[in-house]
Amino acid sequence: MKAVTWILRIGSVATFAVMAALVYRFLDVNDIWHWNAPYDFIVTVFRFLSLVLFFLTTTMISGLASAFGGGTLPNDLVVGLYNTLVLRQWYMQPYGVDSPLTNLQQVWTSFGANMSSVLLTLWDNTFLFLYFLFAGIGIVLFLQSLVRMDHKFVGGAFLSIQAIIIVASFKLLSVPNMDPFPTDFLIFLTDSYQLLALISFAYLEISYQMIYSYSVGKPVEDREETLKKQLLALRQATRKQDAIERGEKVASSGISRSTSATAFSFLREAIERKVVGSKDALENLDAVSDVRRLQIYVDELLQSDSKARDELTAKAAAPSSAYVIGSTITGSLVRFLSVIVIAFILMSPSVLTTILRLPQGIWNSMEILQPEMMLLLFLPVVLLFPFAAMVITWFSKRAEVEKEELTEEEREAEKARKKDLARRRKEAARARKERERARKKRSHRESEIDEWDKALEETYRK
Amino acid sequence: MITQRGFVVIFAGVLLLTSGFSFVNFYLVLLGVYLVIGLVVTLPLFALTANLAGIEVDRHIDKLKVFSGDFLRVRVTIRNISRRHFDFIEVHDQYPETWILAIGENFIASRIEPGSSITFSYILQARMRGRYHIGPTEVVMRDRLGLHYYKRTLKAHTEVLVYPTWKDVRRMEALGKQRQLGLMFGAHRTKTVGLGSDFAGFREYVPGDEFRLIDWKTSAKSGDMVIRQYEMEKNIQVICMVDTSGSMGNGYPENTKLEYAIRAAVLLTHMGLERKDLVGTCVFSDIVHGYVPPGTRPNHMYDVLEALAAAEPKGWSDYETAIQYVVSNTKKRSLFIWMTDLEESPAPLLNAMKTLVANGHKAMVISPFGPWFEAPVGQFGPVEKVLSEAVSEELWERRNKIARALARFGIEVINVGPEDFLPTIIKTYNQAKQKGVAMF
Repeated sequence: MKAVTWILRIGSVATFAVMAALVYRFLDVNDIWHWNAPYDFIVTVFRFLSLVLFFLTTTMISGLASAFGGGTLPNDLVVGLYNTLVLRQWYMQPYGVDSPLTNLQQVWTSFGANMSSVLLTLWDNTFLFLYFLFAGIGIVLFLQSLVRMDHKFVGGAFLSIQAIIIVASFKLLSVPNMDPFPTDFLIFLTDSYQLLALISFAYLEISYQMIYSYSVGKPVEDREETLKKQLLALRQATRKQDAIERGEKVASSGISRSTSATAFSFLREAIERKVVGSKDALENLDAVSDVRRLQIYVDELLQSDSKARDELTAKAAAPSSAYVIGSTITGSLVRFLSVIVIAFILMSPSVLTTILRLPQGIWNSMEILQPEMMLLLFLPVVLLFPFAAMVITWFSKRAEVEKEELTEEEREAEKARKKDLARRRKEAARARKERERARKKRSHRESEIDEWDKALEETYRK
Repeated sequence: MITQRGFVVIFAGVLLLTSGFSFVNFYLVLLGVYLVIGLVVTLPLFALTANLAGIEVDRHIDKLKVFSGDFLRVRVTIRNISRRHFDFIEVHDQYPETWILAIGENFIASRIEPGSSITFSYILQARMRGRYHIGPTEVVMRDRLGLHYYKRTLKAHTEVLVYPTWKDVRRMEALGKQRQLGLMFGAHRTKTVGLGSDFAGFREYVPGDEFRLIDWKTSAKSGDMVIRQYEMEKNIQVICMVDTSGSMGNGYPENTKLEYAIRAAVLLTHMGLERKDLVGTCVFSDIVHGYVPPGTRPNHMYDVLEALAAAEPKGWSDYETAIQYVVSNTKKRSLFIWMTDLEESPAPLLNAMKTLVANGHKAMVISPFGPWFEAPVGQFGPVEKVLSEAVSEELWERRNKIARALARFGIEVINVGPEDFLPTIIKTYNQAKQKGVAMF
């Protein structure tokens, strides 16, 4: 199965590379791929923050100065002195200010003018930055998906790359668009943007197949690996105990704590209880004997049953590679073809009008050329598939949860047990009542107190 | 059923569709359509093929009765009896929460061909006595892309009875081996002077003694009439009364008063059987849950273990009912060792003891003191500490009163904690042997 996973991994890399390259090429006409865009964005953010800080500082100082100056704003001399001494080093050159500002009014006017220009630059740079950000996230998630084999990384990489187009659409740039939507199936198939859509879909499909191939083969391989580690850890632990019992000095663990802990939860418990490898090992007899008994049990099991090892690793469960390759190709092809055909039927206005037999007025209207028109067929068709699946599920015999059925003997035994319990309860209650009645009768009849009751009373009185 | 990742695909599709509608972009709409159609298009086919009724699960366990702390192997076989391939099947075989998965995994994910089977196994350590069930088995079938799934829970429960732990007996045997002394080390044989054939000693003649017992030679030497004495070994009969009322369940799991009482009862029965004494066990609360009369049959130990394995801490302690039941089923004089926390009202206990002594039996109470088994006082805050100390004092005062009342009639009450519970039972048994209490 490893070979199949590797083939699909190469396929995933190829489709992602083509998808990313196509997105880059289609958006390149907008001249957005300025490689210094991230740097510009960060510099602009800091410029914006420096302006805000500048404004806050001058306002605060002026306020404080007016408070100390008897409620009047500081005169130009004070502001000039402050700006000369404190703000001399302020980075104001981008705003065309070379020397310190000596007039408070001048400071605020300068701030207002600079602020709006910085904000506008920031707005533009933000989008340029976002393209790079999404591309970066997409590549990182894609690389993660190859190693971690998780659907969420594949989905994240796909969405990040497509998000570049979504953001570019928002900015009204020239983006891949099939407007007007082709009415001819062949034109539709050969459209370059259709190619991008297909490659993007293929990336998802191949990556998901790769994860399937990995997750079908991996558990069995992992099982074997885990069992090896567990048996090794167990053997080393018992050897160490023997050494401790013989009074020998035990060197640091041959297996690392982390390795053994991940491999062997049972041993982990023993390690956590500081049994294996510590001096007070013999004190915790239970844990030591548990590990030793487990070793003996496993040894006996492996000796007495030749299949035991294979069953523990579930070796026989490994699927054949040939079938997985064949079914991957056929399954993907079927899905591809059906998706393309159905998508064309749903989206092409000519098909839509022919199938729905729309009136001439609508036929000639502009609305027919709007993307929302596809919803007319899209929603019913999409809902048709789950409905069909539901109908099939109803008709095929399929038990979701089975109720446990007891055998006749078990039912009888359960009944007898309940009956016996009820009888014993009844008898105990009757005996209690009788005892109570006898006690009452005795207390009426006998004037003297019973010796035992007397003893208890005397004891309680003390 | 659509999986979580299926919903993510739907979300992505809807995002692309709405973006396409907003920016009048057919490329985005087309991609959205691809995603949504790609998700649902195989759904009917999956529903047609993924018929989980074609999956059979068979579980095999090496032993159905084990001691707490023992290991057992569970083998699970999954069979595909249908004529279809199942692309991705996940099987989880569930085991009791308190047990430990020692070796292997209780889970497998693979594909399964028609008519074929997969077998996997794992080793569990049974923890805590009681009746447990392994299973059910959960079978989840996914499509290749993991977008849809069907789930089925297969019944196939396997009942496993876990006996109380055997570690105390093992430890005692191990200690015996280490000293290179037999199991009888420290045990005193119960002897009765007067009968038997083993010579025991001499004593002065008293009127009424048989003439044949007079040792003429020794009498001639000493000048007084002396008779020979013989002795005979005797065994004792002990009945262990294990209280399983609700209060006995207080404390840390595996370290409750009841667990210690059960361990003590197991140890006592084992020691008794080793020394050919008769030890019976009664498990009671408001009714008698189980009574194993004293005996030496080969299966006696297992009968006791089964009675103790099923004990659950619930109800209240009806000492009178228990004693009435046991006394009516016991003909010989016995030593009754009560293991109860004495947290019920004293009158029924005294009445029970009255019945017991009136029938010629002996008794003693080994009573676990609640606060010693529960949370250590050091872990409490100041308010809880004061409250717990007050409660402890009151409980201590109460049991002292009961102990004083019982002492007047020769019934000893020994308060025990987790550390001295088992040593006390061993000591009590040995003392009973020495004194020859309740011989038969």
